[in-house]
Amino acid sequence: MKDTADATAFDVNDWIRQDQMPHFLCPGCGHGIALRALVWALHEQGIDKDKLAVVSGIGCSGRLSAYIDANTFHTTHGRPLTFATGLKLARPDLTVVVITGDGDCLAIGGNHLIHAARRNLDITCVMLNNEIYGMTGGQVSPTTSGGRYTSTTPMGNSEPTFDACALATAAGAGFVGREVTMQVLALRDLLKQALAHPGFSFVEVLSDCTEIYGRKNDLGASPEMMLAKKSEMRPFAYRNTVDVPFRPNHLRTGVIARNDRPEYGAAYRTMAAGLHGEKGDA
Amino acid sequence: MGDKSNRTMNVLIVGVGGQGVIMVSKVLAQLCQADGHDVKQSEVHGMAKRGGGVFSHVRFGPKVWSPTIPEGEVDILVALEWAEGLRWLKHLKPDTGTFIADCQKIVPPFACRNRKRGAEPAYAPQTPEEIIEQVHAGYVMDATGMAANLGNARASNTVLLGALSTVLDFPEEAWVEIIAATVPAKSVEANRAAFAEGRAWAMGGEKRIDVTASGLHKAHSEMHHPQVDTILEITEEWCKGCDICVKMCPERCLRLNDLLKAELALPDLCTGCQLCAWLCPDQAIRVTNIPVTEAAE
Repeated sequence: MKDTADATAFDVNDWIRQDQMPHFLCPGCGHGIALRALVWALHEQGIDKDKLAVVSGIGCSGRLSAYIDANTFHTTHGRPLTFATGLKLARPDLTVVVITGDGDCLAIGGNHLIHAARRNLDITCVMLNNEIYGMTGGQVSPTTSGGRYTSTTPMGNSEPTFDACALATAAGAGFVGREVTMQVLALRDLLKQALAHPGFSFVEVLSDCTEIYGRKNDLGASPEMMLAKKSEMRPFAYRNTVDVPFRPNHLRTGVIARNDRPEYGAAYRTMAAGLHGEKGDA
Repeated sequence: MGDKSNRTMNVLIVGVGGQGVIMVSKVLAQLCQADGHDVKQSEVHGMAKRGGGVFSHVRFGPKVWSPTIPEGEVDILVALEWAEGLRWLKHLKPDTGTFIADCQKIVPPFACRNRKRGAEPAYAPQTPEEIIEQVHAGYVMDATGMAANLGNARASNTVLLGALSTVLDFPEEAWVEIIAATVPAKSVEANRAAFAEGRAWAMGGEKRIDVTASGLHKAHSEMHHPQVDTILEITEEWCKGCDICVKMCPERCLRLNDLLKAELALPDLCTGCQLCAWLCPDQAIRVTNIPVTEAAE
Protein backbone atom coordinates (compact mmCIF):
# COMPACT_ATOMS: atom_id res chain seq x y z
CA MET A 1 0.00 0.00 0.00
CA LYS A 2 1.39 3.31 -1.06
CA ASP A 3 1.10 6.48 0.91
CA THR A 4 -0.94 8.99 -0.96
CA ALA A 5 1.52 11.70 -0.02
CA ASP A 6 3.75 10.11 -2.64
CA ALA A 7 3.54 12.17 -5.84
CA THR A 8 3.47 9.09 -8.08
CA ALA A 9 0.67 7.48 -6.08
CA PHE A 10 -2.68 6.95 -7.72
CA ASP A 11 -5.31 9.62 -7.31
CA VAL A 12 -8.55 8.92 -9.11
CA ASN A 13 -9.17 12.64 -9.54
CA ASP A 14 -6.23 12.84 -11.96
CA TRP A 15 -8.01 10.40 -14.26
CA ILE A 16 -11.64 11.50 -14.24
CA ARG A 17 -13.23 14.54 -15.87
CA GLN A 18 -14.10 16.71 -12.90
CA ASP A 19 -16.68 18.75 -14.82
CA GLN A 20 -18.66 15.58 -15.61
CA MET A 21 -18.95 14.52 -11.99
CA PRO A 22 -21.03 13.41 -10.20
CA HIS A 23 -21.64 10.66 -12.72
CA PHE A 24 -25.06 9.55 -13.86
CA LEU A 25 -24.90 6.04 -12.35
CA CYS A 26 -27.42 5.06 -9.70
CA PRO A 27 -26.39 4.97 -6.02
CA GLY A 28 -24.31 1.86 -5.31
CA CYS A 29 -23.77 0.88 -8.95
CA GLY A 30 -20.81 -1.46 -9.27
CA HIS A 31 -19.74 0.21 -12.51
CA GLY A 32 -18.31 3.10 -10.49
CA ILE A 33 -15.98 0.74 -8.63
CA ALA A 34 -14.97 -0.89 -11.91
CA LEU A 35 -14.21 2.57 -13.31
CA ARG A 36 -11.85 3.26 -10.46
CA ALA A 37 -10.15 -0.12 -10.79
CA LEU A 38 -9.70 0.45 -14.54
CA VAL A 39 -8.10 3.89 -14.25
CA TRP A 40 -5.99 2.62 -11.36
CA ALA A 41 -4.70 -0.22 -13.54
CA LEU A 42 -4.02 2.25 -16.37
CA HIS A 43 -2.13 4.46 -13.93
CA GLU A 44 -0.05 1.60 -12.54
CA GLN A 45 0.77 0.38 -16.05
CA GLY A 46 2.19 3.85 -16.70
CA ILE A 47 -0.02 4.47 -19.71
CA ASP A 48 0.06 8.01 -21.06
CA LYS A 49 -3.40 9.61 -21.26
CA ASP A 50 -2.59 11.00 -24.71
CA LYS A 51 -1.78 7.50 -25.96
CA LEU A 52 -4.92 5.96 -24.50
CA ALA A 53 -8.18 5.49 -26.35
CA VAL A 54 -11.24 4.34 -24.43
CA VAL A 55 -14.04 3.09 -26.65
CA SER A 56 -17.46 2.25 -25.27
CA GLY A 57 -20.85 1.19 -26.57
CA ILE A 58 -24.33 1.91 -25.33
CA GLY A 59 -25.77 1.23 -21.92
CA CYS A 60 -24.83 2.09 -18.37
CA SER A 61 -21.32 0.83 -19.06
CA GLY A 62 -21.14 2.86 -22.27
CA ARG A 63 -21.31 6.08 -20.33
CA LEU A 64 -18.15 5.32 -18.37
CA SER A 65 -15.88 6.48 -21.19
CA ALA A 66 -17.28 9.98 -20.73
CA TYR A 67 -15.79 10.14 -17.25
CA ILE A 68 -12.25 9.06 -18.11
CA ASP A 69 -9.92 11.93 -18.86
CA ALA A 70 -8.35 10.46 -22.02
CA ASN A 71 -9.24 10.07 -25.69
CA THR A 72 -12.70 8.61 -25.45
CA PHE A 73 -15.15 7.40 -28.02
CA HIS A 74 -18.81 6.66 -27.31
CA THR A 75 -19.96 4.47 -30.20
CA THR A 76 -23.07 2.70 -31.43
CA HIS A 77 -24.81 -0.14 -29.65
CA GLY A 78 -22.85 -3.39 -29.66
CA ARG A 79 -20.09 -2.03 -31.89
CA PRO A 80 -17.33 -0.70 -29.62
CA LEU A 81 -15.10 -3.64 -30.57
CA THR A 82 -15.46 -2.90 -34.29
CA PHE A 83 -14.60 0.78 -33.82
CA ALA A 84 -11.72 -0.24 -31.59
CA THR A 85 -10.44 -2.72 -34.17
CA GLY A 86 -10.30 0.00 -36.82
CA LEU A 87 -8.69 2.41 -34.39
CA LYS A 88 -6.04 -0.06 -33.33
CA LEU A 89 -5.18 -1.05 -36.90
CA ALA A 90 -4.87 2.60 -37.96
CA ARG A 91 -3.05 3.73 -34.83
CA PRO A 92 -1.07 0.78 -33.39
CA ASP A 93 0.72 3.18 -31.02
CA LEU A 94 -2.46 3.70 -29.00
CA THR A 95 -3.52 1.60 -26.04
CA VAL A 96 -7.12 0.74 -26.87
CA VAL A 97 -9.48 -0.15 -24.05
CA VAL A 98 -13.08 -1.11 -24.73
CA ILE A 99 -15.70 -0.72 -22.00
CA THR A 100 -18.82 -2.66 -22.76
CA GLY A 101 -21.74 -4.24 -20.96
CA ASP A 102 -23.27 -7.68 -20.98
CA GLY A 103 -26.06 -6.75 -23.41
CA ASP A 104 -23.78 -4.59 -25.52
CA CYS A 105 -21.08 -7.23 -25.76
CA LEU A 106 -22.97 -10.53 -25.78
CA ALA A 107 -26.37 -9.77 -27.31
CA ILE A 108 -26.23 -6.84 -29.71
CA GLY A 109 -22.47 -7.16 -30.19
CA GLY A 110 -22.01 -10.88 -29.62
CA ASN A 111 -20.95 -11.37 -33.21
CA HIS A 112 -18.27 -8.70 -32.87
CA LEU A 113 -16.94 -10.18 -29.65
CA ILE A 114 -16.25 -13.60 -31.17
CA HIS A 115 -14.57 -12.09 -34.21
CA ALA A 116 -12.49 -9.69 -32.14
CA ALA A 117 -11.38 -12.68 -30.07
CA ARG A 118 -10.72 -14.69 -33.23
CA ARG A 119 -8.51 -11.96 -34.73
CA ASN A 120 -6.60 -11.51 -31.47
CA LEU A 121 -5.85 -7.84 -32.03
CA ASP A 122 -4.18 -6.07 -29.11
CA ILE A 123 -7.30 -4.61 -27.48
CA THR A 124 -8.37 -4.82 -23.84
CA CYS A 125 -12.08 -5.46 -23.58
CA VAL A 126 -13.65 -4.84 -20.16
CA MET A 127 -17.14 -6.27 -19.99
CA LEU A 128 -19.19 -5.02 -17.05
CA ASN A 129 -21.71 -7.74 -16.35
CA ASN A 130 -24.65 -6.58 -14.22
CA GLU A 131 -26.97 -9.29 -15.57
CA ILE A 132 -29.54 -6.80 -16.86
CA TYR A 133 -30.21 -3.98 -19.34
CA GLY A 134 -30.20 -1.29 -16.72
CA MET A 135 -30.44 1.89 -18.77
CA THR A 136 -33.42 0.84 -20.88
CA GLY A 137 -35.59 -0.23 -17.96
CA GLY A 138 -34.44 -3.61 -16.77
CA GLN A 139 -34.97 -6.10 -19.58
CA VAL A 140 -33.53 -9.61 -19.48
CA SER A 141 -29.96 -9.91 -20.79
CA PRO A 142 -27.97 -12.93 -22.01
CA THR A 143 -26.28 -13.20 -18.62
CA THR A 144 -29.34 -12.89 -16.36
CA SER A 145 -29.26 -15.78 -13.90
CA GLY A 146 -31.93 -18.44 -14.01
CA GLY A 147 -35.16 -17.63 -12.19
CA ARG A 148 -34.40 -13.92 -11.82
CA TYR A 149 -37.13 -11.36 -12.35
CA THR A 150 -36.68 -8.57 -14.86
CA SER A 151 -39.22 -6.31 -16.56
CA THR A 152 -39.44 -8.76 -19.49
CA THR A 153 -39.38 -11.92 -17.38
CA PRO A 154 -42.14 -11.27 -14.83
CA MET A 155 -42.40 -15.01 -14.12
CA GLY A 156 -38.66 -15.46 -13.69
CA ASN A 157 -35.98 -15.99 -16.31
CA SER A 158 -36.09 -19.47 -17.84
CA GLU A 159 -33.43 -18.93 -20.52
CA PRO A 160 -29.99 -20.48 -20.10
CA THR A 161 -27.25 -17.93 -19.41
CA PHE A 162 -24.08 -17.15 -21.27
CA ASP A 163 -20.68 -17.79 -19.71
CA ALA A 164 -18.89 -14.88 -21.34
CA CYS A 165 -15.41 -16.06 -20.36
CA ALA A 166 -16.00 -19.51 -21.83
CA LEU A 167 -17.27 -17.86 -25.01
CA ALA A 168 -14.22 -15.62 -25.31
CA THR A 169 -11.86 -18.51 -24.55
CA ALA A 170 -13.49 -20.71 -27.16
CA ALA A 171 -13.35 -17.90 -29.73
CA GLY A 172 -9.59 -17.62 -29.16
CA ALA A 173 -9.05 -14.59 -26.93
CA GLY A 174 -5.45 -14.25 -25.78
CA PHE A 175 -6.26 -13.44 -22.16
CA VAL A 176 -9.51 -14.12 -20.32
CA GLY A 177 -10.25 -13.19 -16.72
CA ARG A 178 -13.11 -12.51 -14.38
CA GLU A 179 -13.38 -10.63 -11.09
CA VAL A 180 -16.00 -9.15 -8.77
CA THR A 181 -16.13 -5.45 -7.94
CA MET A 182 -15.80 -6.16 -4.23
CA GLN A 183 -12.19 -7.29 -4.78
CA VAL A 184 -10.91 -3.94 -6.00
CA LEU A 185 -7.22 -4.76 -5.73
CA ALA A 186 -7.59 -8.14 -7.41
CA LEU A 187 -9.64 -6.51 -10.15
CA ARG A 188 -6.97 -3.86 -10.62
CA ASP A 189 -4.24 -6.48 -10.85
CA LEU A 190 -6.28 -8.55 -13.30
CA LEU A 191 -6.81 -5.46 -15.47
CA LYS A 192 -3.08 -4.72 -15.28
CA GLN A 193 -2.33 -8.21 -16.59
CA ALA A 194 -4.94 -7.79 -19.31
CA LEU A 195 -3.44 -4.45 -20.37
CA ALA A 196 0.04 -5.97 -20.45
CA HIS A 197 -1.05 -8.93 -22.57
CA PRO A 198 -0.11 -8.53 -26.26
CA GLY A 199 -3.33 -9.73 -27.84
CA PHE A 200 -7.07 -9.62 -27.29
CA SER A 201 -7.72 -9.48 -23.54
CA PHE A 202 -11.20 -10.04 -22.22
CA VAL A 203 -12.06 -9.22 -18.61
CA GLU A 204 -15.51 -9.84 -17.23
CA VAL A 205 -16.29 -7.66 -14.23
CA LEU A 206 -19.22 -8.95 -12.18
CA SER A 207 -20.92 -5.71 -11.30
CA ASP A 208 -24.11 -5.00 -9.40
CA CYS A 209 -27.26 -3.30 -10.63
CA THR A 210 -28.72 -2.30 -7.29
CA GLU A 211 -31.58 -0.08 -8.36
CA ILE A 212 -33.23 -2.37 -10.90
CA TYR A 213 -31.89 -5.92 -10.67
CA GLY A 214 -31.45 -5.82 -6.92
CA ARG A 215 -34.84 -4.24 -6.37
CA LYS A 216 -36.76 -6.60 -8.67
CA ASN A 217 -35.15 -9.65 -7.13
CA ASP A 218 -35.10 -8.43 -3.53
CA LEU A 219 -31.33 -8.79 -3.22
CA GLY A 220 -30.90 -6.03 -0.68
CA ALA A 221 -28.86 -2.84 -0.91
CA SER A 222 -25.52 -2.61 -2.69
CA PRO A 223 -23.32 -3.73 0.24
CA GLU A 224 -25.38 -6.91 0.60
CA MET A 225 -25.30 -7.56 -3.15
CA MET A 226 -21.53 -7.07 -3.28
CA LEU A 227 -20.89 -9.37 -0.35
CA ALA A 228 -23.24 -12.03 -1.70
CA LYS A 229 -21.53 -11.95 -5.08
CA LYS A 230 -18.12 -12.15 -3.47
CA SER A 231 -19.09 -15.16 -1.37
CA GLU A 232 -20.46 -17.00 -4.41
CA MET A 233 -17.25 -16.72 -6.38
CA ARG A 234 -14.30 -19.08 -6.21
CA PRO A 235 -10.82 -18.36 -7.53
CA PHE A 236 -10.07 -20.24 -10.73
CA ALA A 237 -7.08 -21.80 -8.99
CA TYR A 238 -9.50 -23.80 -6.81
CA ARG A 239 -11.45 -25.24 -9.76
CA ASN A 240 -10.40 -28.82 -9.03
CA THR A 241 -11.37 -28.75 -5.39
CA VAL A 242 -14.63 -30.27 -4.27
CA ASP A 243 -17.64 -28.01 -4.74
CA VAL A 244 -19.35 -27.30 -1.47
CA PRO A 245 -23.06 -27.98 -2.02
CA PHE A 246 -24.44 -25.07 -0.05
CA ARG A 247 -22.22 -22.58 -1.83
CA PRO A 248 -22.73 -22.59 -5.58
CA ASN A 249 -19.48 -21.84 -7.29
CA HIS A 250 -20.18 -22.18 -10.93
CA LEU A 251 -18.41 -18.94 -11.73
CA ARG A 252 -14.66 -18.65 -11.29
CA THR A 253 -12.62 -15.53 -10.73
CA GLY A 254 -9.05 -14.73 -11.64
CA VAL A 255 -7.19 -15.52 -14.82
CA ILE A 256 -9.35 -18.06 -16.67
CA ALA A 257 -7.30 -18.62 -19.82
CA ARG A 258 -4.15 -17.52 -21.60
CA ASN A 259 -3.60 -18.27 -25.23
CA ASP A 260 -0.37 -17.09 -26.85
CA ARG A 261 -1.61 -16.92 -30.41
CA PRO A 262 0.02 -14.49 -32.89
CA GLU A 263 -1.30 -10.95 -32.54
CA TYR A 264 -3.26 -9.84 -35.60
CA GLY A 265 -2.01 -6.23 -35.83
CA ALA A 266 1.60 -7.29 -36.36
CA ALA A 267 0.65 -9.77 -39.08
CA TYR A 268 -1.51 -7.11 -40.73
CA ARG A 269 1.29 -4.55 -40.77
CA THR A 270 3.79 -7.08 -42.13
CA MET A 271 1.39 -7.80 -44.95
CA ALA A 272 0.74 -4.10 -45.56
CA ALA A 273 4.49 -3.33 -45.61
CA GLY A 274 4.98 -6.10 -48.15
CA LEU A 275 2.35 -4.57 -50.43
CA HIS A 276 4.01 -1.18 -50.19
CA GLY A 277 7.32 -2.80 -51.14
CA GLU A 278 5.84 -4.47 -54.23
CA LYS A 279 4.31 -1.25 -55.48
CA GLY A 280 7.52 0.65 -54.76
CA ASP A 281 5.51 3.06 -52.65
CA ALA A 282 7.64 5.25 -50.42
CA MET B 1 19.67 -28.16 42.54
CA GLY B 2 19.01 -31.35 40.63
CA ASP B 3 20.29 -33.44 43.53
CA LYS B 4 18.57 -36.75 44.19
CA SER B 5 16.98 -35.60 47.40
CA ASN B 6 13.52 -36.64 48.50
CA ARG B 7 12.18 -33.41 47.11
CA THR B 8 10.19 -33.26 43.86
CA MET B 9 11.73 -30.99 41.22
CA ASN B 10 9.25 -28.86 39.28
CA VAL B 11 10.09 -27.60 35.81
CA LEU B 12 7.62 -25.51 33.84
CA ILE B 13 8.22 -25.02 30.14
CA VAL B 14 6.19 -22.34 28.37
CA GLY B 15 6.13 -20.87 24.90
CA VAL B 16 4.13 -20.33 21.77
CA GLY B 17 2.72 -23.08 19.57
CA GLY B 18 5.27 -24.30 17.05
CA GLN B 19 8.35 -23.34 19.06
CA GLY B 20 9.08 -26.78 20.50
CA VAL B 21 7.78 -26.63 24.08
CA ILE B 22 6.68 -30.25 23.92
CA MET B 23 10.05 -31.37 22.54
CA VAL B 24 11.87 -29.72 25.45
CA SER B 25 9.58 -31.34 28.01
CA LYS B 26 9.83 -34.70 26.26
CA VAL B 27 13.63 -34.63 26.37
CA LEU B 28 13.61 -33.64 30.03
CA ALA B 29 11.02 -36.26 31.01
CA GLN B 30 12.85 -39.06 29.22
CA LEU B 31 16.14 -38.01 30.74
CA CYS B 32 14.69 -38.06 34.24
CA GLN B 33 13.05 -41.41 33.61
CA ALA B 34 16.32 -42.90 32.36
CA ASP B 35 17.98 -41.59 35.49
CA GLY B 36 15.57 -43.57 37.67
CA HIS B 37 13.22 -40.80 38.79
CA ASP B 38 9.47 -41.01 38.97
CA VAL B 39 8.27 -38.52 36.31
CA LYS B 40 4.95 -36.90 35.57
CA GLN B 41 4.46 -34.61 32.61
CA SER B 42 1.31 -32.80 31.57
CA GLU B 43 0.75 -30.21 28.92
CA VAL B 44 -1.76 -28.00 27.19
CA HIS B 45 -1.37 -27.88 23.47
CA GLY B 46 -3.38 -28.60 20.35
CA MET B 47 -6.05 -25.94 20.71
CA ALA B 48 -3.30 -23.34 20.64
CA LYS B 49 -1.99 -24.58 17.28
CA ARG B 50 0.74 -22.37 15.88
CA GLY B 51 0.82 -18.99 17.57
CA GLY B 52 -1.12 -19.73 20.74
CA GLY B 53 0.20 -20.27 24.22
CA VAL B 54 1.57 -23.72 25.13
CA PHE B 55 2.79 -24.89 28.51
CA SER B 56 4.11 -28.15 29.88
CA HIS B 57 4.65 -29.23 33.47
CA VAL B 58 7.46 -31.70 34.20
CA ARG B 59 7.78 -33.04 37.76
CA PHE B 60 10.33 -35.58 38.83
CA GLY B 61 11.61 -37.03 42.08
CA PRO B 62 11.51 -40.27 44.11
CA LYS B 63 7.72 -40.25 44.01
CA VAL B 64 5.50 -37.75 42.18
CA TRP B 65 1.82 -37.64 43.07
CA SER B 66 0.27 -34.80 41.13
CA PRO B 67 1.00 -34.10 37.46
CA THR B 68 0.63 -30.33 37.78
CA ILE B 69 2.71 -27.81 39.66
CA PRO B 70 0.99 -25.48 42.16
CA GLU B 71 1.47 -21.72 41.82
CA GLY B 72 4.71 -20.55 43.40
CA GLU B 73 6.25 -24.03 43.41
CA VAL B 74 8.17 -23.98 40.13
CA ASP B 75 11.91 -24.57 40.55
CA ILE B 76 12.85 -23.82 36.95
CA LEU B 77 10.79 -21.85 34.47
CA VAL B 78 11.90 -22.24 30.86
CA ALA B 79 10.28 -19.67 28.56
CA LEU B 80 10.67 -20.00 24.83
CA GLU B 81 9.03 -16.64 24.36
CA TRP B 82 9.46 -13.52 26.48
CA ALA B 83 5.84 -12.55 27.22
CA GLU B 84 4.86 -16.16 27.87
CA GLY B 85 7.70 -16.27 30.42
CA LEU B 86 6.35 -13.16 32.15
CA ARG B 87 2.84 -14.64 32.15
CA TRP B 88 4.03 -17.65 34.18
CA LEU B 89 6.56 -15.80 36.33
CA LYS B 90 4.36 -15.82 39.43
CA HIS B 91 4.46 -19.63 39.39
CA LEU B 92 8.18 -19.50 40.09
CA LYS B 93 9.45 -20.11 43.63
CA PRO B 94 10.14 -16.60 44.96
CA ASP B 95 13.40 -17.37 46.76
CA THR B 96 15.05 -20.24 44.90
CA GLY B 97 13.49 -20.32 41.42
CA THR B 98 15.50 -20.12 38.24
CA PHE B 99 14.17 -18.29 35.21
CA ILE B 100 15.52 -19.20 31.76
CA ALA B 101 14.05 -17.21 28.86
CA ASP B 102 14.50 -16.47 25.22
CA CYS B 103 14.18 -12.73 24.67
CA GLN B 104 12.52 -13.07 21.27
CA LYS B 105 9.14 -11.41 20.88
CA ILE B 106 6.24 -13.13 19.20
CA VAL B 107 3.54 -10.47 19.23
CA PRO B 108 0.12 -12.12 19.50
CA PRO B 109 -2.86 -10.81 17.52
CA PHE B 110 -4.69 -9.66 20.63
CA ALA B 111 -1.80 -7.32 21.40
CA CYS B 112 -2.55 -5.54 18.12
CA ARG B 113 -5.97 -4.20 19.02
CA ASN B 114 -5.10 -0.77 17.73
CA ARG B 115 -5.16 -1.31 13.98
CA LYS B 116 -3.76 2.08 13.10
CA ARG B 117 -0.60 1.92 11.10
CA GLY B 118 2.48 2.26 13.22
CA ALA B 119 0.51 1.78 16.44
CA GLU B 120 2.52 0.32 19.30
CA PRO B 121 1.31 -3.22 20.08
CA ALA B 122 0.27 -3.84 23.69
CA TYR B 123 3.20 -6.16 24.32
CA ALA B 124 4.81 -6.71 27.71
CA PRO B 125 6.90 -3.59 28.40
CA GLN B 126 9.13 -5.14 31.08
CA THR B 127 12.85 -5.23 30.35
CA PRO B 128 15.08 -8.23 31.13
CA GLU B 129 16.93 -6.15 33.75
CA GLU B 130 13.73 -5.52 35.71
CA ILE B 131 12.77 -9.19 35.66
CA ILE B 132 16.20 -10.53 36.57
CA GLU B 133 16.07 -8.35 39.70
CA GLN B 134 12.96 -10.21 40.87
CA VAL B 135 14.24 -13.77 40.57
CA HIS B 136 16.80 -15.79 42.45
CA ALA B 137 18.67 -16.87 39.33
CA GLY B 138 17.93 -15.87 35.78
CA TYR B 139 19.18 -16.27 32.28
CA VAL B 140 17.79 -14.10 29.51
CA MET B 141 19.32 -15.06 26.23
CA ASP B 142 18.75 -14.55 22.54
CA ALA B 143 18.31 -18.27 21.90
CA THR B 144 16.64 -17.74 18.55
CA GLY B 145 19.47 -15.50 17.43
CA MET B 146 22.09 -17.99 18.64
CA ALA B 147 20.33 -20.83 16.84
CA ALA B 148 20.01 -18.72 13.69
CA ASN B 149 23.76 -18.03 13.81
CA LEU B 150 24.31 -21.78 13.91
CA GLY B 151 22.17 -22.17 10.82
CA ASN B 152 18.64 -22.96 11.98
CA ALA B 153 16.55 -20.62 14.12
CA ARG B 154 14.14 -23.45 14.86
CA ALA B 155 16.76 -25.04 17.13
CA SER B 156 16.23 -22.25 19.69
CA ASN B 157 14.49 -24.71 22.02
CA THR B 158 17.65 -26.86 22.08
CA VAL B 159 19.73 -23.78 22.95
CA LEU B 160 17.46 -23.31 25.96
CA LEU B 161 17.85 -26.99 26.80
CA GLY B 162 21.59 -26.34 26.86
CA ALA B 163 21.06 -23.54 29.36
CA LEU B 164 18.68 -25.74 31.37
CA SER B 165 21.30 -28.51 31.51
CA THR B 166 23.62 -26.30 33.55
CA VAL B 167 20.99 -25.94 36.27
CA LEU B 168 20.10 -29.63 36.55
CA ASP B 169 22.55 -32.26 37.69
CA PHE B 170 22.64 -34.70 34.79
CA PRO B 171 25.74 -35.56 32.76
CA GLU B 172 26.10 -33.73 29.45
CA GLU B 173 26.38 -36.99 27.47
CA ALA B 174 22.99 -38.15 28.76
CA TRP B 175 21.35 -34.93 27.53
CA VAL B 176 22.93 -35.19 24.08
CA GLU B 177 21.96 -38.85 23.80
CA ILE B 178 18.29 -38.18 24.57
CA ILE B 179 18.17 -35.17 22.22
CA ALA B 180 19.70 -37.22 19.41
CA ALA B 181 17.09 -39.92 19.98
CA THR B 182 14.20 -37.40 20.02
CA VAL B 183 14.88 -35.08 17.07
CA PRO B 184 14.66 -36.17 13.41
CA ALA B 185 17.84 -37.84 12.16
CA LYS B 186 18.70 -35.08 9.70
CA SER B 187 18.77 -32.38 12.40
CA VAL B 188 20.77 -34.26 15.05
CA GLU B 189 24.00 -32.38 14.29
CA ALA B 190 22.30 -28.97 14.31
CA ASN B 191 20.69 -29.76 17.67
CA ARG B 192 23.97 -31.02 19.10
CA ALA B 193 25.65 -27.73 18.17
CA ALA B 194 22.72 -25.70 19.53
CA PHE B 195 22.82 -27.59 22.83
CA ALA B 196 26.56 -27.03 23.22
CA GLU B 197 26.12 -23.31 22.46
CA GLY B 198 23.38 -22.86 25.04
CA ARG B 199 25.29 -24.83 27.69
CA ALA B 200 28.48 -22.88 27.15
CA TRP B 201 26.61 -19.58 27.34
CA ALA B 202 24.82 -20.43 30.60
CA MET B 203 28.05 -21.51 32.25
CA GLY B 204 28.96 -17.81 32.29
CA GLY B 205 27.12 -16.90 35.52
CA GLU B 206 24.00 -17.22 37.63
CA LYS B 207 22.34 -14.03 36.45
CA ARG B 208 23.09 -13.34 32.87
CA ILE B 209 21.45 -11.16 30.26
CA ASP B 210 22.60 -11.28 26.69
CA VAL B 211 20.17 -9.62 24.36
CA THR B 212 21.08 -8.78 20.80
CA ALA B 213 19.66 -6.07 18.58
CA SER B 214 17.36 -8.50 16.84
CA GLY B 215 15.71 -9.54 20.08
CA LEU B 216 13.74 -7.77 22.76
CA HIS B 217 15.10 -4.29 22.34
CA LYS B 218 14.57 -3.92 18.64
CA ALA B 219 13.16 -0.47 18.13
CA HIS B 220 9.51 -0.53 17.29
CA SER B 221 9.90 1.75 14.28
CA GLU B 222 12.24 -0.72 12.62
CA MET B 223 9.71 -3.52 12.79
CA HIS B 224 6.53 -1.79 11.67
CA HIS B 225 5.06 0.67 9.25
CA PRO B 226 5.78 4.29 10.08
CA GLN B 227 3.00 6.06 11.90
CA VAL B 228 0.66 8.06 9.67
CA ASP B 229 -1.78 10.91 9.98
CA THR B 230 -4.93 10.08 8.06
CA ILE B 231 -7.05 12.67 6.32
CA LEU B 232 -10.39 11.45 5.00
CA GLU B 233 -12.18 13.86 2.69
CA ILE B 234 -15.67 13.28 1.33
CA THR B 235 -16.94 15.23 -1.67
CA GLU B 236 -20.56 15.69 -0.61
CA GLU B 237 -21.81 16.74 -4.03
CA TRP B 238 -20.66 13.43 -5.51
CA CYS B 239 -21.90 11.14 -2.74
CA LYS B 240 -25.18 9.41 -3.53
CA GLY B 241 -25.63 7.74 -0.14
CA CYS B 242 -25.35 4.16 -1.35
CA ASP B 243 -24.20 2.98 2.10
CA ILE B 244 -21.28 0.90 0.74
CA CYS B 245 -18.58 2.76 2.69
CA VAL B 246 -20.66 2.71 5.89
CA LYS B 247 -21.25 -1.03 5.73
CA MET B 248 -17.79 -2.03 4.49
CA CYS B 249 -15.65 0.07 6.86
CA PRO B 250 -13.83 -2.41 9.14
CA GLU B 251 -13.80 0.13 11.97
CA ARG B 252 -17.42 1.30 11.49
CA CYS B 253 -16.32 4.90 11.64
CA LEU B 254 -18.51 6.27 8.84
CA ARG B 255 -22.24 7.01 8.80
CA LEU B 256 -24.90 8.58 6.59
CA ASN B 257 -26.13 11.96 7.78
CA ASP B 258 -29.65 13.38 7.54
CA LEU B 259 -29.13 14.28 3.88
CA LEU B 260 -28.00 10.67 3.15
CA LYS B 261 -24.42 11.79 2.57
CA ALA B 262 -21.54 9.82 4.02
CA GLU B 263 -19.60 11.49 6.80
CA LEU B 264 -16.78 10.52 9.09
CA ALA B 265 -18.54 10.07 12.43
CA LEU B 266 -15.67 8.68 14.48
CA PRO B 267 -12.42 10.08 13.08
CA ASP B 268 -10.39 8.61 15.95
CA LEU B 269 -11.20 5.08 14.83
CA CYS B 270 -10.17 5.60 11.20
CA THR B 271 -7.02 3.63 10.45
CA GLY B 272 -6.51 4.97 6.94
CA CYS B 273 -7.03 1.57 5.34
CA GLN B 274 -8.59 3.23 2.25
CA LEU B 275 -11.21 0.52 1.75
CA CYS B 276 -14.01 3.11 1.62
CA ALA B 277 -12.19 5.06 -1.07
CA TRP B 278 -11.58 1.94 -3.14
CA LEU B 279 -15.20 0.80 -2.93
CA CYS B 280 -16.87 4.19 -3.43
CA PRO B 281 -18.66 3.98 -6.79
CA ASP B 282 -18.96 7.75 -6.86
CA GLN B 283 -15.24 8.44 -6.29
CA ALA B 284 -16.39 10.74 -3.49
CA ILE B 285 -13.95 9.59 -0.78
CA ARG B 286 -10.31 10.46 -0.67
CA VAL B 287 -7.98 9.08 1.99
CA THR B 288 -4.56 10.63 2.46
CA ASN B 289 -2.00 9.02 4.72
CA ILE B 290 0.83 11.34 5.61
CA PRO B 291 3.75 9.70 7.41
CA VAL B 292 4.45 11.32 10.75
CA THR B 293 7.98 12.66 10.68
CA GLU B 294 10.27 13.01 13.68
CA ALA B 295 10.24 16.78 13.28
CA ALA B 296 6.45 16.98 13.43
CA GLU B 297 6.43 15.15 16.73
